[in-house]
Amino acid sequence: MPKLTSKVLSQRLSTRLANFNLADDVINKLATRVLIDGLDIRRFDICIYGICIDYYTDRIPKLDGIFSKVDVARLEIFPYGIIDWDRFLIRVGYSVDELEGRAGGLGRR
Amino acid sequence: MSATSTQTEMRSGFLPDRIVHLHPTRLCNLACLHCYSESGPRQKTALDLDPLQQALPLLKAEGYNQISLSGGEPLMYPPLLPLVDGAHANGFRVTMITNGLFTPKRMDEVVSRLDGIAISFDGLAPAHNHLRGRADAFERSSATLARLADGGQPVAAAISLTRDAIPDLPELADHLVGLGAKALQVRPVALAGRARTMTEMPVYSAADQARLYLVVLALQEELGDQVRVHCDLAPARSLWQQRDAYAALLANCVQGTADQTNQMLADLVNPLVITETGSLKPIAYDFNSHFDVASLETLSSEQLAHYKQQNLADLQALIGRALAQLQGKQGLVDWFDYCARLSEENSGQQSRMNSGAKPGTGDGH
Repeated sequence: MPKLTSKVLSQRLSTRLANFNLADDVINKLATRVLIDGLDIRRFDICIYGICIDYYTDRIPKLDGIFSKVDVARLEIFPYGIIDWDRFLIRVGYSVDELEGRAGGLGRR
Repeated sequence: MSATSTQTEMRSGFLPDRIVHLHPTRLCNLACLHCYSESGPRQKTALDLDPLQQALPLLKAEGYNQISLSGGEPLMYPPLLPLVDGAHANGFRVTMITNGLFTPKRMDEVVSRLDGIAISFDGLAPAHNHLRGRADAFERSSATLARLADGGQPVAAAISLTRDAIPDLPELADHLVGLGAKALQVRPVALAGRARTMTEMPVYSAADQARLYLVVLALQEELGDQVRVHCDLAPARSLWQQRDAYAALLANCVQGTADQTNQMLADLVNPLVITETGSLKPIAYDFNSHFDVASLETLSSEQLAHYKQQNLADLQALIGRALAQLQGKQGLVDWFDYCARLSEENSGQQSRMNSGAKPGTGDGH
């Protein structure tokens, strides 16, 4: 793996989540949003909305459980069809203003 | 009486394998500030090899398939090689966690016989060296990981983080993967053993747990598929949905009919911990001794049958209560540590209950 520069490292989502610049309440809200009963997280990354997550489920997804989460900016559901009849990929984009520096979550400590 | 199982295909507890965590010694070349087993250079207690070797066939017959060596520093256990060979001869996979500070000669003669090895880290150099009490610990452990990886060994890193070391994790992960680590197992430092006396260690809040969990999710994406990143924290609701993993243990509580006397111990108690004093404990090194399964010195199939018949009920009640608490719980749980802490709270209470209660009727099932 090539050595990362400190600039690239500092821009990565893992670093931005780890460094305590995001306030506890922002972290708690984010965790509450991304954990959806019955859905396994398979991909978790920063995107234009804030954070985009791919979930997998082997059951027909309950959309009310997803829409009850606040700040859902995008939702896509892909049935796997003949590849795997019982599997669904659910792609959710959450608005997380704090990650874009647009709200007051930065610079608390 | 020999144990039988009709459920060998099912998970036992929230683990992929049926594991014996073996602590053959508390002797260690370090005395880490946060060590849950309070190991160190002055801790001379160690298991005799003979009773250990004699226990291996019985543990295998009871359904366990992996021996995970820990300590103390396992490499300081003089009869480590015959122990590893004996475990293999009985059909176990053998893995080891080490601090990575030993000489290549001692390390290599053991590592070549192992099925997996992990080197422990506590953060980047300043945090790691501070907790380990040694200025070159990080550099030497890193060098060992790199050397083993270069030699073709699939090496993992076991990362325990104090709350204040969470910001180290992304750079530490890059460092370790760059050296050749194939897997990273990340967990919060358990509030056990010497960690209880660390004045400088703030307890993890719910937000700290969430932060660590989210960082691990992000790291898995950033590091790609060639590296597996695992966090010991899990969403409480997700664990509740997987509660069938404890179906064998809780069977007679749910159905009122099952008899666990003939059930393999590995279906009921997983992981099983063997301490350097010869105690067989469920789940964690610091699990309250009230729940001890047996003693290595007197271990026999009859003793285990007696445990299943007479003493398993307390563990059933505790696990049942812990699972029931997950149902309405938000956020994340470090499950095995959660059960260990609950064992401390419940040991006295369960003793009182058992004096007048039927086995296996604890609430929460």
